Amino acid sequence: MNGATTSDLVLLVPELILIGMALALILVARRIRRGPAAVVGTVLAALAAALVSVWFLPNGATTGFGGMIALDGYSQFFKVLIAATLAMAALLSVRTTDGEQVPRAEYHALLLLAATGMMLAASALDLLTLYLALELMTLCSYVLVGATVENPMSNEAAIKYFLLASFASALLLYGISLTYGVTGSTDFAAITSALSEQGVSANPLLLVAVGLVTAGLAFKIAAVPFHAWAPDAYQGAPPPVAAFLAAGAKAAGLAALGRVCLVAFGSQAQVLSVFLAGFAALSIIVGSVVLLSQTDMKRLLAYSSISHAGYALLGLIGGAPEGASATMTYAFFYVFMTLGTFGVIIALGERGENLDGYHGLAAQRPGTAALMLLFLLSLTGIPPTAGFWAKFVVIGSAVRAGYTELAVLAVACSVVSAFIYMRVVVLMYMREPQAPAPARFPVAVSAVLALAALVTLIGGIAPGRFVVWAVPP
Amino acid sequence: MNEYIGVAVTFVLAGGIAAAMVVLGSTLGKKNPTPAKLAPFECGKDPFSLPMGRLAIKFYLTAILFILFDVELVFLYPWGVVYRQLGVLGLTEMGVFLGVLMVGFVYAWDNGALDWQ
Repeated sequence: MNGATTSDLVLLVPELILIGMALALILVARRIRRGPAAVVGTVLAALAAALVSVWFLPNGATTGFGGMIALDGYSQFFKVLIAATLAMAALLSVRTTDGEQVPRAEYHALLLLAATGMMLAASALDLLTLYLALELMTLCSYVLVGATVENPMSNEAAIKYFLLASFASALLLYGISLTYGVTGSTDFAAITSALSEQGVSANPLLLVAVGLVTAGLAFKIAAVPFHAWAPDAYQGAPPPVAAFLAAGAKAAGLAALGRVCLVAFGSQAQVLSVFLAGFAALSIIVGSVVLLSQTDMKRLLAYSSISHAGYALLGLIGGAPEGASATMTYAFFYVFMTLGTFGVIIALGERGENLDGYHGLAAQRPGTAALMLLFLLSLTGIPPTAGFWAKFVVIGSAVRAGYTELAVLAVACSVVSAFIYMRVVVLMYMREPQAPAPARFPVAVSAVLALAALVTLIGGIAPGRFVVWAVPP
Repeated sequence: MNEYIGVAVTFVLAGGIAAAMVVLGSTLGKKNPTPAKLAPFECGKDPFSLPMGRLAIKFYLTAILFILFDVELVFLYPWGVVYRQLGVLGLTEMGVFLGVLMVGFVYAWDNGALDWQ
């Protein structure tokens, strides 16, 4: 294995841009306490990273750093998606960081570093690189969840998230060490070739290793039974951080899971499908059913994100590249529709955090109510929104993989979850307003809402535009 | 496997004797508690305060700064040993690494971690 050379660094230009901006923000932290410099810098860095990922990098798949980092269509797709998540989360944060409570520069530096970890997770070709990338993401997330220091709920959420996530990291690490024990390597390609010679029957330890690695990664996407952190963390965290976790951490977790399932453990598709089908079925059922009793909007979206993690996993069960690209499509559309829904909640401020706040919104702010309707339809999976197409492709791939019962379950549960999403719509359109009309939204939040709505609509009407980018690993 | 049986027997015997002593002592023993007997034992003196007293937060900041330089040193030693083989690339890499660490130090300094009031 050679040491890193400068040509390897070209593979990491998007990450280096984000890290550079984060370091710059930390250096001048005390001087930009006021003013929009941190938000502008973060958004510019995210834009630059996305542009570099799309255009500047050499075409065709390459690897670097001794085969630890890949640059292919798969990592490019997720890098652009994560850069978009970062930019939108930063724009949604304009109000959160207005007060003295949350230090602005540090907050954005942590967002940038967490996004760097997510991007690295999408391009890691080695279990240990993957672990480090995911740790970078979660370590920054702990602090972000507890960013509103004076709010006891935020502190509690951060501590709960930290304890559970450290436990999950330990599981992942133990799985990695067992995989190393079985195959003699942490490199994806070497694991593949070692596993093609021996199956689970020859080495039962492999079953434990695969189970632990998938469990550790399932935690990152909040799949049942590793979902317990999500509702508390989302509820206690500042709303933009909850949005960032729901969208970005899920995308990064799915990216990691996709590459591990298809490349490293590709030959063990039968073992994997048992675990993944279990996680998917449980997440869909628990997410959709518990969703029905929620009255706090952030908790509601947390359970919604749990059920969506289950739907996204449907694509990976078959172990086929088409399935992985269905999961990528799902991740892509989910990011925009969940950021849009969080955007409406953030725009409405205090009022948006509780279900009761939506009484008669359509009479006061018809535009906002229409946007919320669009995002809720998309979360339910009703055409002509992107959510319909996303569910359509993953359920289709589950049927093709021979999991018809699971597909039926998924459709049934999305009908169940429709009750709560439509309840918000009923409150908005068929009730009298109880609270005074909300104040004008900041321009940044409106911009995020517009972008999310645009992608949700175009994705529903002409999904092919986005689906072509979903290149499986 | 056979050579471990002795170890296992020792474990079981040791555990059994210890458990038996505790159980017998607590069931058969005479109990006659007085306030003096129930007081926490600290070499015959009344305890002054809780064992975990309050510490100034400044010590934590100092500890974190120490870790910053500690990590730096951990990497500088092996780097120094193979410095000649690494050449210019190694020098720049270490420069970047130290630069990143120093950003953290500058941040701490800038925000008053070194002012001891």
